[in-house]
Amino acid sequence: MPKRLLSIFLTFLKIGAFTIGGAYAMIPLIRREVVQKRGWITDEDFLDGLAAAQSCPGPIAINLSVYIGLHIRRGWGMAMAVLGTVLPSLITIVAIAALFTHYAEMPLVRKAFHALKPALVALIAVPLIQMTRQAGLNLSNFWVPLVAMAAVGLLGISPIWLILAAIAFAVLQSLWQKGKAA
Amino acid sequence: MYFTLFWTFFKIGLFSFGGGYAILAMIQQEVVLRHAWLTQSQFTDVVAISQMTPGPIAINAATFIGYQQAGIPGSLLCTFGVILPSLILMLAITLTYLRLRKQAWFKNVMQKLRWLTLGLIGAAVILIGKGAFPDWFSVAVFAICLVVYLRFKPNPIYLMLGAALVGMVLG
Repeated sequence: MPKRLLSIFLTFLKIGAFTIGGAYAMIPLIRREVVQKRGWITDEDFLDGLAAAQSCPGPIAINLSVYIGLHIRRGWGMAMAVLGTVLPSLITIVAIAALFTHYAEMPLVRKAFHALKPALVALIAVPLIQMTRQAGLNLSNFWVPLVAMAAVGLLGISPIWLILAAIAFAVLQSLWQKGKAA
Repeated sequence: MYFTLFWTFFKIGLFSFGGGYAILAMIQQEVVLRHAWLTQSQFTDVVAISQMTPGPIAINAATFIGYQQAGIPGSLLCTFGVILPSLILMLAITLTYLRLRKQAWFKNVMQKLRWLTLGLIGAAVILIGKGAFPDWFSVAVFAICLVVYLRFKPNPIYLMLGAALVGMVLG
């Protein structure tokens, strides 16, 4: 196996093995490994992939693995990234299902999560600040992420509606500008 | 049985938008209400375990239910079923993206989506933050992690392992 493919597999294996709490918890780790450490894709491409991964049905982490894998090394890159993300889940869950049925109630596990949950909030908040600087946000458009944050986080609106609305708005805006220019 | 498991999880993957938590709602609909493979309280356990083990929540839940229903082949089939729609659709989306990304209107779409995505990550902070701060201990852990992460930029893995250890000892 080419060295690059192996390192894609190992990187995503690490991401799959060390993120607890779903795709958003994976964001800081994926960004660090794939953008900052290895320079496989740019921060801009990463954010685009995140947007695409959220608009597509299915687990966001898998969608993002497909996107990044394809970006780095086409079909094989995709296969290695997805396999790496899924494998730790398969192994841990089968072991838990086979051995401990009351894993979630174990005192040590509960105690660890008491500290892990607030740590996770901090871990997701920090890259958010850094990415805000790179997304070209200013005083005139800063309300967009804030409104989206409140709509999804507080009102429980499905992100898919916001995504569709943003796409429709951007397409209409481009058409209008084109019409004005012509 | 094998085919039903695969097909059920394929449908779940295909029709759930918005990631792990939306998928859990679909799994509940199919696995508890429609097929009665699990009771509601067994399902609640599956949700807790899926959140508390590493890896994507939807993959964890699919693997667990598959294993309970049909052993290791079951867990492989359910996992493959739930990711297959992602593989096909994301492949199409990414290839379209790579082809169109030089066009002005497409750049505009992606720029708006980027702003939105930041908001969606912010929403995740709210959602994960709910229930994460029952006492001052949690607030202290949050503040320390924030400062350490901003100042020293450690690998998130070490920060999480550190937090888990602190929780086991002091939590």
